[in-house]
Amino acid sequence: MEQWLEWARGPVFRACFVIMLLGLARAVLLNTVSIVSLVYQSRKKGREVAWGPILSATWQWLFPIKKGFESRAFFSFTSMLFHLCIIVTPIFLGAHILLWERGLGISWPALGNLAADYLTLLAILTGVALLAQRVGASASRAISRPQDYFLPMLLVVPFISGYLAMHPNLNPFGYNGTMFVHVMGGNLIFLLIPFTKMSHVALFPGTQLISDLGWHLKAGAGEQVAIALGRENKPI
Amino acid sequence: MKAEQNLSYQVEPFQTEDRPRRFLEAFAAILKHSNYGIVLDFYTRVSAKCSRCTAACQVYQASGDPRDIPCHRSELLLKVYRRYFTLAGEAKARLFDAFVLTDEYIDEMAEEYWRCTACKRCKATCPMGIDHGMITHLARWILSEIDVVPKAMVVSVREQLEGDSKNTSAIPAIAMKDTCEFLEEEIEEEYPGAGVKFPMDVEGAEYVFFPPVSDYLMEAETLMGNASMLHVSNVSWTIGTTNFDGINYGLFYSDRMWERIIKEQVAEIKRLGGKKMLIGECGHATRAAVEGMQSFIPPEDRVPVVHIMQLAYDKFISGELKLRENVIKERTTYHDPCNIVRKGWIVDQPRTILRHICEDFVEMTPRGPDNYCCGGGAGTVSIDEIKDFRMTIGGKTKADQLRRTGAHYVVTPCANCKKQVDEIIEAHGLEIQKVGLHDLMLKAIEFEPAGTGGG
Repeated sequence: MEQWLEWARGPVFRACFVIMLLGLARAVLLNTVSIVSLVYQSRKKGREVAWGPILSATWQWLFPIKKGFESRAFFSFTSMLFHLCIIVTPIFLGAHILLWERGLGISWPALGNLAADYLTLLAILTGVALLAQRVGASASRAISRPQDYFLPMLLVVPFISGYLAMHPNLNPFGYNGTMFVHVMGGNLIFLLIPFTKMSHVALFPGTQLISDLGWHLKAGAGEQVAIALGRENKPI
Repeated sequence: MKAEQNLSYQVEPFQTEDRPRRFLEAFAAILKHSNYGIVLDFYTRVSAKCSRCTAACQVYQASGDPRDIPCHRSELLLKVYRRYFTLAGEAKARLFDAFVLTDEYIDEMAEEYWRCTACKRCKATCPMGIDHGMITHLARWILSEIDVVPKAMVVSVREQLEGDSKNTSAIPAIAMKDTCEFLEEEIEEEYPGAGVKFPMDVEGAEYVFFPPVSDYLMEAETLMGNASMLHVSNVSWTIGTTNFDGINYGLFYSDRMWERIIKEQVAEIKRLGGKKMLIGECGHATRAAVEGMQSFIPPEDRVPVVHIMQLAYDKFISGELKLRENVIKERTTYHDPCNIVRKGWIVDQPRTILRHICEDFVEMTPRGPDNYCCGGGAGTVSIDEIKDFRMTIGGKTKADQLRRTGAHYVVTPCANCKKQVDEIIEAHGLEIQKVGLHDLMLKAIEFEPAGTGGG
């Protein structure tokens, strides 16, 4: 099992992490190019982008203290806590920082063990609560795809296994087996990020801008569409 | 060709053969020539299906029908996009049993995208900023290119672009002029010495006026208020007799029509040598003109677009428009038309005037940029066949809001909202009267002695 664990946190981790980085870089790059071309196109035609309201909306959603409570407050609160925990905990966990230090020689301040424990438990609790709210609400069920059920379950796997690994007295399984699940769970998340809705981890800052630019309509597009469809001379 | 479809609204006969293929061709052509592809690509990646939009949509709140959930509706088109226009969709289709676009699916889209009022209230609650109103707009455009579009829309646009009258209500210019002369007499009778005129084809006027043309048929008081406000404020304005309709249904279903209509309107302004486009009390006409001007008209031909309530507010603040205080004794409330309020364009301007002229002004909750649609938005109010839906589902929330205010007047400064609110009042047995802002202002205007006004 130890060899499997080494394999998981060695080549598999590196491969998944690189795929995530490249996948996100591709998505960010392509979308940035698209956004820049739209902005350029608009400015060339004398139309300015409403940067003020767009940046304000982007900021308000990046830190949704106010926005978050305007609709489905309990669900939103759960979601905010979940996001906070799953971002902060893995990045600032002492054991993870140690791995970065060993691998790349970089480090940053770590969370205390107790704080990390609480955040981990909160991540699990809010993850399960999010899933329960999705399953329990008929409106949510009506719009949910398989990934919407699968991802919250997957996202709590590294937290549950990580917590058990750090608390041997609570863990009915062996350390190496638990850690293997922990690392592979994380690897799978990294791998899936660019190909699922989790890509919003990188694309989120552009959402408000792209929605606004979408209404910067292209002059002459309608006529070109009509020509392409052979409808240009057809009466209405 | 087929005349009837399983839709709740009437459509003109359309070609039924090969509809899925033709839908995809239209979709492909639009993606190729417009900017929508970039938006769809983004939305398909980030859509989180969090269902926060369920709490924002008054249609879903009233119907409880999952097909009215904004995210559900948008997914209909995103699914087609993902399957037929992305690499992953193509690859998946080769490997597995994939989704296939069918006639039934097209009918489902045709039905659902015309249940949406495109009020964009849901966008404000979407963490991913997904503009479901834009998806509705795009889906309707694609559908219209295979001729699946409500007859009410097509007939109006046809008359406006290809008919003799050049307006959606088919009012001949001579009839419009007669109406205006009659309204001048009415004003004179009620306010002797006011000297209000409806100037026609005045060259070089600062403002060329485009009210929703239905005002000439149904909203005489609004037009009288418009003309009186412009007159006492010494505004240089005119009505063009070859194009005097502010309505632009292209906003509701087709960028192609939207562009053609705004171009015709700008051509009328140029014919008269006008400097600005003045839009009457109408939400969609304002947005269609503001955004259409920026998108479709070359910079050198653009003219500023001004909403008449903005102009009235400016004149009131500058002191050129004098209004008597507390003239309206009855309780009054204000309905925000979505197309002018959602982005915060027109929020406090009419309220400032109403607080001045009304003794008892009350607000609805929610209001302003967070308002609820009247339930007749995005052209649905023009479809008489779906009136039951508009009354019992689309307009239910607004009816409840109106009832709670206990108001005598609801100021409804939009032609579409006016029709819908009138029907809501009748259907729900509300004891409230719908008016335009200028209808009430007319009662409060301090007229100067004859001959000193503008025009």
